[in-house]
Formats: sequence, structure tokens, C-alpha cells
Amino acid sequence: MSISKSFSPVKLIILFLSMVVLCCLPFVVSSFVLRIATGIMMWIGLALSWNMLGGYMGYISFGHGASFGLGAYIAGMLMTQLHLPFFVSLLIAGILTYIFAALVGYPTLRLSGSYFAIGTWAFAEMMRQLVLVLTITGGPEGLRLPPMLNDNFFYFVMFGLALLVFMVAYLFFEHSDFGLKVKAVREEETAARTLGLNTTWVKNQVFALSSMFAGIIGGAFAYWITFIHPDSVLGPLIADQMVIMVLLGGIGTLFGPVIGAIVLYVGNQYMLVMWGQSSAYLIILGLAICLVILFLPEGLMSLLRILRGRRRGIIKRLLPGMKKSNI
Amino acid sequence: MGLFMQTTVNGILIGGIFITIAVGFSISYGVMHIVDFAVGEWIMLGAFTAFWLNQYTKIDPLLLIPFIALFFALVGYLFQPIIQKVVNIKHRSAAMMALAFTFGLSTLLRGSALTLWGFNNRNLVTMLSEMNVNLFGITVPAIRAAATVFSIFVTAAFAFFLYRTKTGITIRAAAEDKTVAGLMGIDGHRISRLVYAIYVGLTAMSGVFIGSIFSVFPDMGLRYTAFAFFVVVAGGMGSFSGAIVAGLLLGLISSFVSVYVGGAYVFLILFFILYLILVFLPKGILGKGW
Amino acid sequence: MFKKLSIMRGLALLAISGLFLSLVGCGSASTGAGSGASTEARDYYKVGVITSLSGAEVYGGNVTKYGYELWADAVNKKGGIKVGDKSYQVKLIYADDQSDPTAGANAAERLITSEKVDFILGPYTSGVTKAVAPILDKYKVPMITGSAESPTIWTQKFAYTFGTIPAADLTANSPLDTLAKLPNPPKTVAVLGVNDAFSKAVAEAFKASAEKKGMKVVKYDVVPAGTDFTPLISAIKQLNPDVLAVGGHETEHMQVIKGSKSLGFMPKAFVMHYGITTPDFIKNTGKDGDYVYGAAVWTPDLKLKDDLFGTVQDYVKASKEKFNAVPDYTQAGCSATGEAFSAALAKIGAKPPLSEQQREQLVKALEQIDIQTFYGPIKFATDGNWYHDNVGLKALTIQMLNGDQLVVGPNDMKAKDPVYPVPAFNAR
Repeated sequence: MSISKSFSPVKLIILFLSMVVLCCLPFVVSSFVLRIATGIMMWIGLALSWNMLGGYMGYISFGHGASFGLGAYIAGMLMTQLHLPFFVSLLIAGILTYIFAALVGYPTLRLSGSYFAIGTWAFAEMMRQLVLVLTITGGPEGLRLPPMLNDNFFYFVMFGLALLVFMVAYLFFEHSDFGLKVKAVREEETAARTLGLNTTWVKNQVFALSSMFAGIIGGAFAYWITFIHPDSVLGPLIADQMVIMVLLGGIGTLFGPVIGAIVLYVGNQYMLVMWGQSSAYLIILGLAICLVILFLPEGLMSLLRILRGRRRGIIKRLLPGMKKSNI
Repeated sequence: MGLFMQTTVNGILIGGIFITIAVGFSISYGVMHIVDFAVGEWIMLGAFTAFWLNQYTKIDPLLLIPFIALFFALVGYLFQPIIQKVVNIKHRSAAMMALAFTFGLSTLLRGSALTLWGFNNRNLVTMLSEMNVNLFGITVPAIRAAATVFSIFVTAAFAFFLYRTKTGITIRAAAEDKTVAGLMGIDGHRISRLVYAIYVGLTAMSGVFIGSIFSVFPDMGLRYTAFAFFVVVAGGMGSFSGAIVAGLLLGLISSFVSVYVGGAYVFLILFFILYLILVFLPKGILGKGW
Repeated sequence: MFKKLSIMRGLALLAISGLFLSLVGCGSASTGAGSGASTEARDYYKVGVITSLSGAEVYGGNVTKYGYELWADAVNKKGGIKVGDKSYQVKLIYADDQSDPTAGANAAERLITSEKVDFILGPYTSGVTKAVAPILDKYKVPMITGSAESPTIWTQKFAYTFGTIPAADLTANSPLDTLAKLPNPPKTVAVLGVNDAFSKAVAEAFKASAEKKGMKVVKYDVVPAGTDFTPLISAIKQLNPDVLAVGGHETEHMQVIKGSKSLGFMPKAFVMHYGITTPDFIKNTGKDGDYVYGAAVWTPDLKLKDDLFGTVQDYVKASKEKFNAVPDYTQAGCSATGEAFSAALAKIGAKPPLSEQQREQLVKALEQIDIQTFYGPIKFATDGNWYHDNVGLKALTIQMLNGDQLVVGPNDMKAKDPVYPVPAFNAR
């Protein structure tokens, strides 16, 4: 079960190579591509953070964008009004989002199913309206952060954050007792409670944790884009995209959100570049979502699994004596 | 006092617009258990259909309502099997897949409208658009009054259908417990299809009123999706009477907050109330939802 | 089932995506690691256009698109921008900002690094402009926006961003100033505004100018987009102000007019700003939209001309032919952005493609230009609160009649006397 056990030389090389490739990326590609890569990393992080709540615990949130926006605004305000350094602001944004989500989570997590989905959505809309009428946030004028225009820096920040969220999802949700408890809440909440599991605590922790990551990523986003506006960081589209990415990739899996984020983000950008002059890309996007759900309800991960199944079959035929664990 | 009465009447008139949408939406949730993101787009399509028909035939949009309702009921009837396919998917969160599916549908419809008809605002002129009625110093825009009266009429007819006809009773049975209804020999599929047809027809029909009160453009649906959610959740999902009360509540709150608190806070307060209702009264204000 | 998967698979996946991206990158960006510098040889100017072609501001985005396109057509018909003894065609490359600042920033980055545009014609909304401006400063690519009117753009002092339309706080005071000079000036004003950057700035300016002129502001409310105006109008009706001033865009203006009419509310005048000159407003409100006051820096009746477009009437004709739309000041302002670039390019003699050094010179040249166009004078401020904004244009007070924009103020510019109080809806 431990990580070190699964380190074979081949895998070590793959690991090493992948890290090298991802770290060298900024020095190879043009800055537009790097910007897209930064965006992908950000959305991988966001989709993974949403998946903690929606995938592992089965609480579908349509208000996760509120945490993202909250983090963005906290970090932005700390940097512009208190002139704190970026990483300090990011840390505080994360902590505050965590506390805020823990407080909000308590009443909100009493809801479940569609009620939870709509409850979180209503809460997020409320947050957007609140930021619009407050003066401290700049209201409809938005908030401008001091520009820091180092593309490589933001790529590595987002890369690091995506990696962090990935590790947390892997360690805490896929390979720990905590993860089992979370899944127990998803499968049979009442039974889990009857068996003595403190479901309220587990739910609240997952909610706060996933919100915290969204908040930190939001803070990094604010500094990257340098201009945030209630409609752009607190709009419903942020949460909607997270949901669609995870469903597209495969909900409740470790790699589903990663794949979903890459495919949707790259696809969206590509369509925008190709057909940016008309609104036809909305048709294609909508159609793509509908088709995936109709024909690949388990997400793109299921496609991968089918392919892997085939490959395994082929290898088995070729090497009948091969040990299963090697694959 | 005059302002208070006027604000109340305004509130009822705003709410009246939403009742028809809410009733259809609520029943469709009750039977199919899907939350339809595309509700606003059905409104938009209804308004656009009225606009284009009016352009070519010069028939008053209000007289076109029965045709639009029937036409969209047919669209809904033909389209429902696809949604049913999504609902039937063996998936841990099939309801959520359906939700995401309707989200995709809404994007698709909005994108198509935007591409086909462009971004322009269009004015849907009806015979009542220019008129207003003055009662004891309270001014009532005729088209809004008509929308409210019409939605009360439609709601009453629908209630009669649900409570007094055999098909209506089977719908209610299916909404209450699909499995047991199935055991009693009710064809769940047929009922779902019928309900979805009614819902799409009613929603597109209210689009004609909304289009003539405000204006017709491809993005017009977005905000009504939000309002429909409000009404259905506050009324209790699947509750018929709750939807009516919640529709009126929505209108009254927006009207009173605009006048006495400040227009800036309308949505803030609305969403806060929605959140509170959800947390403390998850079965809706009348406690009748499920 | 995924317990067996190791962390390495995930990283491998990330790596694959990285590799994929590098491939895409190498494919699209021939020069590899990106500075904005261009090395390809071409004999035309690549002009980036960032504007809202979808999303909430798609209407206005298309108005700007019309303006930019008319300029490109006019220039190319003349053979192109004349630099030295040769003319170079222009080619517009569009990027949709989806009415969203983030998408706008992405679009700017793409236009500069992978399309390698020489300069940029700017966004419709102020929010997108603010998100794009720092990126232009980074790559040293100049942009002129022919639309964004929020005063807060200029206080940031972006080095590479210019604007042809004076900020809203410079123009919005004009209608109330004109009304205040009448023998029977309005005494009370109600101000409504929509909660977006431009509309709020307009509402604030209406309120400030009303108070300055000694009018009483009986109601001031800034509401979120999508609000139903009827309750607010009912409340205002009870207060019975002489003037209802509204900061918003065409959709809100239409709804205010419609709502007022259906509630039987008729103030002595409606005062609005941008939006009342758009074809949508004119067509949809019909006679009810007559007599509405507005502010504009340009109208289709002005007696101005230049070498590129000819007279204003020629410009209007070209717009009607191509887009079936009577141009408004935003569209004209957008067309004029290109003229500013043409003049500056001719001055420094920079042939396409522009190097970084040439783009720096271009900014210096833009700061110095002082030209007369069909749109009016263009001269950008070089210091102060409206840094790089074309502040020299005079704000006109207009009053709509039969879809025409009649200039009714200030006194030295007016073509007609203002009608005040205006006739009631049913007396037209």
C-alpha cells in the first residue's frame, strides 16, 4: 500500500521524465501555450478539489465557485490594502476560506442531493451579490492587483497547487481510513452514522478542505490575472465548469477530474480560437456535454478503462505467464 | 398607503409571471426527479417562436399562445425519451448526470439561438402592450395583469386536470411513489413523457408573456432559470400549491425590497432567503415538498 | 478499483498533457519561446481585435466589431496604410473575450504571442480592458479601445492602452447641464443605475451634476443587472420627479421606457447615456423612445470629414450598406482608433511586421498625434486622471426624435432647441 513499494525502476524513470517535461515546459513553449498550460493546471486543481466533495463524498455542489471567488478576493484585498506578500496572502486566504467553509458547511451539509446542489448555488449567488454591493471589494469596479507578469512563476505556482491537491486526493481520499469514511458517507450515510461514524465531522472536514484548496487556487488566480470582478470569479460558470469537468472525466476517480479538466479546457480554448468569431462554439460545447453524458456516463475514464482492458487482454495473450501485478 | 398598495400589486404581478413556470417545473421534478437547467431556454424559445410567427403571420402573439403551447408540448414529448435515457443510466448519481445533461442542453439551445438569430433585442408587441388599467389610484400594466390572470387560469385548469381526471391522478400517483405506482399498473414512462410535454408547453407559453413584458433575446432565459429554482425550492420540490405561494412570495419580496430597502439588495436578499428556506424548511414554506 | 493506480500514473498523465502542449506549442508558435517579437516577413499589418462576441455584452461587442471592420474595409479599399511610399493592407484577427476579463486576458496573450499582431483594437467593456492592459504593457503592444468608458481605466496609467472615447465622468454631466440652463429647469431628479462599472459611473455622474446644478436628487438606486424595474418605477412615480436619469445599456433603457409607459409614469424628461442611439433601442421603443435625452461625443449629423471615410454622411452610408445599422458614437469611436494608428504609423515610418522597438516608437507617436477625423479631434492626454484618454472631444447633449440624434446642447453646438417638458407618451 505504501508509495515506496510501487517504485519500480521503469516507473521511477517515468516519474523523473514527467517531472522534467513539466518543469521544462516554460522554457520550451510559447507564452500563450504556457498560459494555457497554467490554466489547465489551475482547472486540474479545481476539478480535483470539487471531486473531493462531489466525487468521494457524493455531495454535488454548485457553489464551489464561491470558495474560489472568496479566496481570490481575500488574497486580492490583503495584497492591495495591507500590502502583504503574495505567498502570505495565499496562506491567509486558504486558512480563512477553510474557516468560513467550516462555518457555512455546518448548516449547509444538513441538506443532501438536489437540495444541497441548489443550496450551495443559492449561497454562491448570494456571495456574488454581496461582493457587488460592498465598497471594500470594489463592487462592480472589480479589484486590480499589482501586476506581476512572470509567466513561469505562475505556471509553477499552479503546477505546484495542482500537484498538492492531487497528492491530498491520493493520500487522504484514495489511500487512508479517512477516505474510507468519506466513501461510507457517500454510499450509506445513515448506516455509517449508526455504526458510530461521526458523519457530521467527516462531512464538514471534506467540505472545508475542498473549499480551502479552491480558495488558495482562487488567490493564485487573482494575482495571475491581476484583475478580478464579481462576475468573473464568483459567477456561476466557475462552479459549473468544475462540475462538467469532473463528470466528463469520471466522477469519484482520481484521474477523471484531471482528464476532464484537460479535455474541457483545451477543447474550449481550441474552439474559441477556431470559431471565436461566432458563437457556434457554444453549440459544440453544449452538444459535447450532452453526447458524453448520453454515451459515456462514467466519463472519459471509462473509455480509458475499456482501452486498458483490451490492452491487458492482448498482453495476456502474448505473455500468458506474465504476473498480473506487473501491469 | 398608495405606494404600499402599488408595491403589493406589483409584487403579485411579478410573481404571477412565475407561477405558470413554477407549476410545470415542479410537477416535472415531482415525476422525473430531474432539475432542469434548460427551463430558461424553453422560455426563450417560446418567446422567439411567438416573435417570428408574429412577424410572418401578423397574428397577435397572445392569440398564438395555444399554438405555441401545443407545439412545444409536442417538442417536449418527442424529446423526453432522450432525457429518460440519461435518468435511467445506471450511475451512482444519475440525477446529477441528468442535471449536467440539461446544463449541456441549455448551452446548446442558447448557443444555437445566438448563432441563428444574433444578439439583438426584439420587441414582442401584443394588443395589451400599450395599455394600463387604473384602479383606485393603482396603475396596473395590462399585459402583466393578463399574464397573472392567465397563469391563474392555467393553474386552475391544470389543478382540475391533476385532481379530477384519471390521467391526472396517475400523474400524482407517479409523483408520489413511482415504484408503487408501477406496481399498480401505471406506465411510468408514458406518464413521464406526458408530464415533460406539459412542462415544456407551459414554460414556452409563459415565454410569450415574459417576452412581451420585457424583450426577446437569446440570453433572456438565464435569469428565469434562477427564478424557477427559487420558486420550486421555496415552494417545496414537487408541491403544487407551494409553487403558487412561492411564486407570489418571490414577487412580493422583490417588489418590497426594491421599494423599501433598495434595488441593490434585491438579489442578495432573495438568495439569502432561498438559502434560509432550504436549510430550515427543506420541504418548502408549506412543508409539502418531498 | 483505482487503489492499484500509483501516483506515477497521474504524473505520467500530467507529463503526457505537457508533451501534448509542447507539440501544440511548437506547431503554433514557429519561433518557440515567446517574446512578442515577430520575425516573420509579411507585407500587411496584423491587427488584433479583442471584443465581446459572446456572453452578456455581445450586443455592444458587435457594435465595436462593426466599427473596426468599417475602418479595415476603408483602409484596404484605399490600398492600405501608407507608410513611406508604399501602402500596406491591414488584416483583422478577432478574439472573443466572452465578456469575461479572464478570457480577455487569454485572448490578448494569444493574439500577441501566437498571432504576433502588430497592434490591438480594444474591448467593448471596461472590465476586459482592465484585464488586458497589463498584458499589453508586458509585451509592449499598443492598444486603442474605441469603446471602454469607465474612468478607472485611465487612473491606472497603463503605458500601452489608449482610448478614443472620453471617460463617462467627462461626458455624463452634459444632458443635465443643458437642462439646467433652460428657463424652466428641472428641480427634482431620480437616478437609477445598473451595477456594472460603466453604468454605475454614469449614475454617479448624473447624481453629481444634478446636485451641482442645484437640483434635488429624490431617489438614487444602483441595482444589479436583471432587476425588474417596475417596483422602482412605481416608487419613483410617487415621488414625481421632473427627470428620471438612468445609467445602463440599451436593454435596461428599453425596459425603463416600457415599464414607465405601462405604469403611466411620465416625467418631464428621461435622461440616459449610451444605448439610446443603438438600432435596437430605436426600433424597439419606437415613438416611446422619442425625446429621450442622452450624452454623446459624436452623432451622424456632425459636419466633420477626413480623407479616409469622407464626410460623416459617407461613413453613415457605408455602415448602413454593410451592416444595415446607423452608427453611434461607439462605432464611430472604434473606426477612429484605426485612423490614430494609421497616422502614428505613417509618422514613424514603421513597416510591418513591427519590432518591439518600433512598437515603443508607435506609443510615443500616438502620444503626440493631434489629428482631425470624421469622428472629431484625436489627441490623447499624457498626464492626469485620464491618462491616454482622448479627452479633447466635447460632450454633446442629444435628444432622440424619430430615431435621429438631434444635438440640443451645449449652446454653441446645438442644431435644435431642447424640447422640455417632453410630450406624454400618448400625445406623440
